[in-house]
Amino acid sequence: MTLSTSNVDMERAQREQRERRMPGDAGRPLSQSRGVMRTARIVSTVLVALWFALPFLPLVLWSFANSWSAPDVLPMSVGTDGLTAAIANGAVAAFGDSLLLSLIVAAIATPVGAMAARALSRHGLPFGRLVSVLLFSPVLLPPFAAVLGINVVLLRAWVPPEIGVILVLVVVAIPYTTFSMLVAYAAYDDGFDEAARTLGATSRFALWRIHLPLIAPALARSAFLAFLVGWSDYLVTLVVGGGQLVTLPLIIASSASGIGNESSVAVLSLSAVIPPLILLGLVSRARNLNPGRQS
Amino acid sequence: MTAVPTVTTVTTPLAPGPARPRRRQLRAALLVLPAVIPVAIVVIGGVGATLLQSLGLMPLVGAAELSTAAFDDTDELLTSALLSLSIAVVSTAIAAVVGFFTAVLIISGNWGGRIVTVLSAAAVTVPHLVGAATVGLLLSDSGVLARLFGISPDAWPALVAGPTWFAVIAEYAWKESAFIALIIVGTLATRITSYDEAAAVLGAHRSARLRLVLFPLAAPSLLVASAIAFAYTLGSYEVAWMLGATYPEPLSVMALRLFNTASLTARPEAAAIGVITVVLTAAVVGAAMLGLRRMRAWR
Amino acid sequence: MPIRNPFRRQPSTTARRRILPFLATAAVTAVALSACSAPTTAPRGPEFFDWSDVQVAADGQTVKLWMWGGDDQGNAYVDDVLAPAAAAQGVTLERVPIADTKDALNRVFTELQAGRTTDGAVDLVWINGDNFRTGKQADAWLCDWTGLLPNMAAVSDTDPLLTEDFGTPVDGCEAPWHKAQFSFVYNSATVPNPPTTIEGILEWAEANPGRFTYPAAPDFTGSAFLRSVLYSESGGHENVPSAYSDEAFDELSPALFDRLEALTPSLWREGSTYPATSEQLTKLYADGEIDMMMTYGPATLTALVENGTLPDTTRVLTVDDGTLGNASFFGIPSNSGNIAGAMVVANEALSVEQQVAKADPTVWGQFTVLDLDALSTADRALFEALPQSPVVPSFDVLSRNANPELSAEWVPALDEAWRTRIAAGQ
Repeated sequence: MTLSTSNVDMERAQREQRERRMPGDAGRPLSQSRGVMRTARIVSTVLVALWFALPFLPLVLWSFANSWSAPDVLPMSVGTDGLTAAIANGAVAAFGDSLLLSLIVAAIATPVGAMAARALSRHGLPFGRLVSVLLFSPVLLPPFAAVLGINVVLLRAWVPPEIGVILVLVVVAIPYTTFSMLVAYAAYDDGFDEAARTLGATSRFALWRIHLPLIAPALARSAFLAFLVGWSDYLVTLVVGGGQLVTLPLIIASSASGIGNESSVAVLSLSAVIPPLILLGLVSRARNLNPGRQS
Repeated sequence: MTAVPTVTTVTTPLAPGPARPRRRQLRAALLVLPAVIPVAIVVIGGVGATLLQSLGLMPLVGAAELSTAAFDDTDELLTSALLSLSIAVVSTAIAAVVGFFTAVLIISGNWGGRIVTVLSAAAVTVPHLVGAATVGLLLSDSGVLARLFGISPDAWPALVAGPTWFAVIAEYAWKESAFIALIIVGTLATRITSYDEAAAVLGAHRSARLRLVLFPLAAPSLLVASAIAFAYTLGSYEVAWMLGATYPEPLSVMALRLFNTASLTARPEAAAIGVITVVLTAAVVGAAMLGLRRMRAWR
Repeated sequence: MPIRNPFRRQPSTTARRRILPFLATAAVTAVALSACSAPTTAPRGPEFFDWSDVQVAADGQTVKLWMWGGDDQGNAYVDDVLAPAAAAQGVTLERVPIADTKDALNRVFTELQAGRTTDGAVDLVWINGDNFRTGKQADAWLCDWTGLLPNMAAVSDTDPLLTEDFGTPVDGCEAPWHKAQFSFVYNSATVPNPPTTIEGILEWAEANPGRFTYPAAPDFTGSAFLRSVLYSESGGHENVPSAYSDEAFDELSPALFDRLEALTPSLWREGSTYPATSEQLTKLYADGEIDMMMTYGPATLTALVENGTLPDTTRVLTVDDGTLGNASFFGIPSNSGNIAGAMVVANEALSVEQQVAKADPTVWGQFTVLDLDALSTADRALFEALPQSPVVPSFDVLSRNANPELSAEWVPALDEAWRTRIAAGQ
């Protein structure tokens, strides 16, 4: 005997699930635009695509350029010198460090943000507004001020540098995860949980089988944002980390501060785009998992 | 599922009972605590220590002595603050407009939307430092664009390090528009279809649906994302330092220069600029949030 | 629409006391942790009796060398040549690449501010000049340790470049690594008849508007350019007292800034902006936007010409009035937890094998700090056998009439005056 509903309901749920549109999904526009509107749409799409793509042009060209001086329009000689230099600079180890750090930050900041958002989204949290302001406040801190001040505190409290980096980056990520979960909970219908409980589910069961599957897409988006905080940070990793963690942005920044390193910087930068893109691909595949699914 | 779950009456955070408000409050407080503790430590510790340094209470050498001398150079601070604000306002405004239309394109879900989804997501993942480097390579006097169009460095406008701060604004607008689009799409994705369909079924025209359905739905997220972008732009230094003109300098660049200056006495001044930046950001973002409440009240 | 505003007022409740006391505690703890006056950090001397003590203590230590990471040749030299040699002596050398040496210094300062005086994250830094002086002001360096290094025997103890660092006495607080000479660089294809004096360079710039500029102070190179012109305008370095005084500054600096003001309209972009760093300056030169530039690190030019970043008609200009010379050093922060290991690395870096390897233009091309006359004939032959760079002249030629550096107090004074008079145009 299960909680599950009738076959008819199942089918409907599955159909609805298929129809639920997620970012990146090809939708089925209700009305196809024609004529002028169609042209306008195509033009604006091209313009927006160009806007986002253009800054990648130098990176792509430089990645394969062994040498390229003005005024040549294209690189004079093409090769993999950039890749070789990037690897010689410790790019592989840095890639691992970056991945580990970002995943840890995402693994902590996402559930913490989700729990906070859950508490904030329902009335009854004491000092709700104050808490909201506090959780949003890391956004207001200029990175240099945070590092200038917080590092003294962390050092004085004998917090190990690795823990310090994770702590500060989790704090930087919390506004993003909390906000994106707040939005999700605002649209969340408590009825699902209540129905499950009324039907006799334990709270643990309701959490794992009903609640989490329903908020999975939002959790995935939060995790992506938190991952990015760890992935792109330079200042906190360097100053708080005290050289214990040499992540990709550290290598990129120090290479970029020199001359003649354009091609290795370009290789490093492009390779830094790939893991988050893969993650985003996974995120946009995350569906509202089928609540009450058979295990 | 194998066992029949037994019916219990224990209230949980997920299925609150209607009564027992105290218990609910306790649960809510416990849920929020793991976020509040680290944020409180970092924010209060960070701002507190910065404030103490700006007031000369945490000197690197010598005795601690309360002084507001670090806040004295008002002329230069005012110029820098105005410059910082202008850059942040202009780039955030561009990012908000582009970000919103990008989100609309993505939501519309055709082939173009897919391309834009991937490209904007790629832009979100680029660290600002790299963004500044690549925008520099693109827009400088003998950059990729100048080479593509075959324009000589003398004839190319001074986009990088020029008086208009064009490259700096372009980099922030580029990165932050991708961020704003991502946030709006996240908000809209879960619910837009039903509203949009309802509006379409009721005969709403495309532009009317954009104006009356999409925009109001997106507005709160747009505002919050823009506030975050604004705060970031005001506080970060790499982009303006790499792509900006020598004089005048934005607050963050000034703070960094003073912090790194050869004389130790300039460090309180750097901290003072940090404090001013926090206050300035808090004021603008606070105003935006009040606007958000108004927006909610009005609707 | 049920989108919740995070700042929306929540209904007031009876259990508010749960959060406030907690917040207050967090705040008080955080502030208490940070709010104390500067911990007294008396300079630490070495606790070692002799070199074998150091070697015993160093065995098994991991040394974090914080060094500017923008030079691939330098990175490769440390990773592939110096680190294996250190490993052979039981010391693991790890390079922390940084975008600015100040980052390392700031880390040390913050640790000292927080009272962390024995377990710092920075064991060794590549430094000189103002960074050294700033650190010395804050008692951030370990002192009196270079005397223990056996390889210091081959370093002259009377060479002013090595006994003083920008007018700050070295006092055994840093071990020399290599020498550098401030150099003007030009493209021989576009400047067929290069000038031969500093004043000549300025006149050449005025005759060729838009083809010359210099990095904005306080960039290291830009700042060195200011001192070069100060010497030239004062009629030679003999006329500028090395020790800083307000009187000397007021007497000598107006001529410098008048000259630079007159030069401004002839600079790249009419002097409305300046490259922020010496790398941006080099980029302008590499792209052919300017025909002459300057660098305090001529060692890197050979490789940049070879890999096509700079035109192969690039040459170093030797000027009759001579240019600034300095040396760069290894400093050990006083709070390093691996002092012995750091000393072993600094000593190894001073060995003949390492100095020869590093001086090879195909490796790094950095000029040696060893006193060649004090070396054995065989060792000297190693240096003499090094290939000659097609771009950079030998150190003898480059350092002819070398000018001593001014004391480090001059640096911020000139930088600040440049910002207000030239950059801000006041």
